[in-house]
This record gives sequence, structure tokens and C-alpha cells, in this order.
Amino acid sequence: MNTLTTIDELGFAPALQQDVLEDTTSDHALLEATRSGDQDAFAELVSRYRNQITSYIYRMTNDYDGAVDLAQETFVRVYRAADRYQRSYAFSTYIYRIATNLAISELRKRKRRKLVSLTGFFQPGDGGEAQELNPPDARPLQDLELVDTERRNAVQRAIGTLPEKYRAPLILRDVDGRSYDEIARILETSEGTVKSRISRARGFLREKMRAYL
Amino acid sequence: MRKNNCELIRRELDELMLDETYSSSAVEHLRECADCRDFHDRQTKLRQIVGSLGTVAAPADFDFRLRARLANEASAASQFHYWPVARRALAVAALLIVFATGAVLVKNVVNRPSGSGEVARKEEPKVEQPDKPVETIRPIVQENRDKNLIAVNPEKRPQIKNDRSTSMSSLNRRQMVSVDRSGLGAEVIRQSDLLSASPAFPIDVSDQAFKVSLDDGRGNAKTISVPPISFGSQKIVQSANQLAPKRAW
Repeated sequence: MNTLTTIDELGFAPALQQDVLEDTTSDHALLEATRSGDQDAFAELVSRYRNQITSYIYRMTNDYDGAVDLAQETFVRVYRAADRYQRSYAFSTYIYRIATNLAISELRKRKRRKLVSLTGFFQPGDGGEAQELNPPDARPLQDLELVDTERRNAVQRAIGTLPEKYRAPLILRDVDGRSYDEIARILETSEGTVKSRISRARGFLREKMRAYL
Repeated sequence: MRKNNCELIRRELDELMLDETYSSSAVEHLRECADCRDFHDRQTKLRQIVGSLGTVAAPADFDFRLRARLANEASAASQFHYWPVARRALAVAALLIVFATGAVLVKNVVNRPSGSGEVARKEEPKVEQPDKPVETIRPIVQENRDKNLIAVNPEKRPQIKNDRSTSMSSLNRRQMVSVDRSGLGAEVIRQSDLLSASPAFPIDVSDQAFKVSLDDGRGNAKTISVPPISFGSQKIVQSANQLAPKRAW
């Protein structure tokens, strides 16, 4: 789940290797140090979560540049609210909740602006299920690598068509591999609701990805 | 029963992670039920594809950009260090302005006269109300007409009907003297009077000025002297002592 995917296919700079960090200090302790003005502690927190948060927001919004901006905004908010941070939740839950709220807010802004996705999807005006403009190519591909790439792109587009309430739990569960309990805390809902939404999201995806299954 | 069991097994498989081991009942059911086995295969493949998306790395300059952003925000925050205090001060000043404006408006509304009759009563609280206000003007005027001096006594000032009390009160405020002749009857000039009277203005060569003395009721008297007006060599404004008996007006 934590495999680092290169983004050459997106035309961006090659991905950096994630620094191998000694996880001797807990996130809580790092945030405490940040609160007292330790910039290195905050840098350590950023290095721990920058890829996860950027990737999560990218899966939610399907826009890499926007995802990087929102990931930075997430860390800015963590930094600003360090004084108000409560240790009742895990830091990962806390930062994912901020990222989720920012991503959902961005999706709603897009919906209001009625932006058409350049990846070939559009969302209808009623806010319901989106429709695919780029149907899958049914012809067999020779290269296995191309098949995988095409399949990943298709599933990314299909995830982008899911309603936001189904999209977030599906990504947190199937892409990030988080537990139902943690997802429920991030999304501030019950565990049963999370399970139900994930099941429905998979059902939607199964229909859209029928050609690849 | 079988359908119900399939739903339970599918839900169980759906909730488990891919690398988790299934219960023995689920494994047994998958071995027997082809539909559930097909569902499970497709579901597993889908989850593998979604899971293969993996993590997208942040750009290389992520930390640098984040530091720059935080530094910009810190400098902007230092520029507006006193902004919270200034904002509160502005809010208080705005409230004060609003209250002061409201107080001035309320004061103006309270001091504004509500009606003409009420104002008239307030302005002239000590004026005696004559029984027949309109008729009282005739003796005063006629009495004064016989004299060389016309004195207007405010206490005996003719009272006009209520609808004119406002204008009268405003005149009183300005210390002006006026005589309302609307209540007077027109003088009847008979043919005999015309014949007996002079055919025109009596021309008198008196050089005495027309004098009017005004008394405002507080002991302040003012005398207005109107010089004779002449048209060529004839004077048409006579002295008061000559004007009255000849009834030239």
C-alpha cells in the first residue's frame, strides 16, 4: 500500500525517494516540540506525512498541482493550530481529517464552477453520479506494462467519478489501507456507515471497471 | 436461507483486508457457491487494481515551498501584529458613532413640535383668550386710528382662530406686530360721503412724518417714523392727525 509510484506518466518530476527516518519520536512529541518553536520537529513531521497527504489529496481531486497546494495548506494549518492540538486523537487522524476537509471543499468549489475535468469525465449538474466520456478501449494491448498503466488510469478516473462521500472512505481503505475505526474517526462518522459506503463505492467501481475485471 | 448466507459471506469477505485470512465457514461457502466465488474473484481483482495506485510522491521542492509559505505568513502576521487591537478599537469607534448619531436623532425628534395647536398653546401661555377674538380688533384699530400714536398691546392682541395660531405665534417670536384685518368689515362709502369728501386725496402741505409707536408688552417701545412720500410737489401720505378725520382711506 505504501509503494511509491513514479509520476513520469503525469509529466512531473521524478518522485523522490522518501527519506528513511528514525521513527523514535512520536508524532505527538514532534508536535509538542513544534509548539515550543522547534522548526526541525515540524520539518520531521512534514517529511513523515508529505507523500501520504499529497497522494491522498491527489486521489481525491485527480489534480496533482492542486493536490500539492492543498497538502501544503494542510501543513500550514497544522502549524498554525499546533497550540490547539489535542492529544485525544492520533496525529495521523488529525492531519487526514484536515486534508479530507480541504479536498472535499475543493471538490465542492469545482462543482460550483462546473469545471469539466480534462481527463475525460464530467460531473452532471444534479450532483449525482458522474458519467464517463472516455469509454475503455476493448482492444487487447500487447504490452503488459501498458495494460497496467491503462488499468490504473481507468481506475483513477473511475474513482474520480464517485460521489465524495464514497470516494474518501474507499481511498482511505483500499489505497491507504487504513482501518475502519480510523476511517470513521477521520470522517467523523460511524464505523457502520464507513463499511456501508465502502461497499457501495466498490459496487460503483465494479460497474465502471467491468471491462478490466 | 442460502441467499441470506451468501449475503453474509460476501459482506464478511468485503470487510476483510486482502491479506487477512477468511473464516472457515467463508472458505467452505466459497468452495460450494460458484456465484460467491465469482463475486469474490472480481472483488479481489478490483481491490488489487485500486491498491496498485499506491502513493504519489510530493514534489522535490515541497519542503522549500512550505517553508517559504510559512515565512510569508509569519511576515504578514508581524505586519498586522496590532491588527486585533486595532480592529476592536475600530469596532468600538463605530459603535460610538452609531450611538452618538442615534442620540442626536432622538433628541431632534423629541424637540420637534408635534402639532400646531400644541405649539400655539406653549408659546402663549399667559395670553388671555377673549370671548370674541375677531370683534375685538375693531375698537383697538378704530381707537388708535383717532390717535396720532398706534400702540399695539400684546395682551390685547387680537386672537385669531386656531388654524392661524401657528403663524401668529411665529410672528410673536420674531417680535413683529401685525394686524389681521380679515375679521373687519369693509367700510361702506356712500355717495353722500363721496360728495362731501374731497374728490381725491386731501393734499396737505404738512411736513410732519407719519409716526408709529410699537409696544411689545414688556415696556419696550419703538417709534417708527415714515417720512412723507411725495410725487412731484404733492404729498400723498398725510400726517396722522389729518388723515383720520378726513377719512381719505
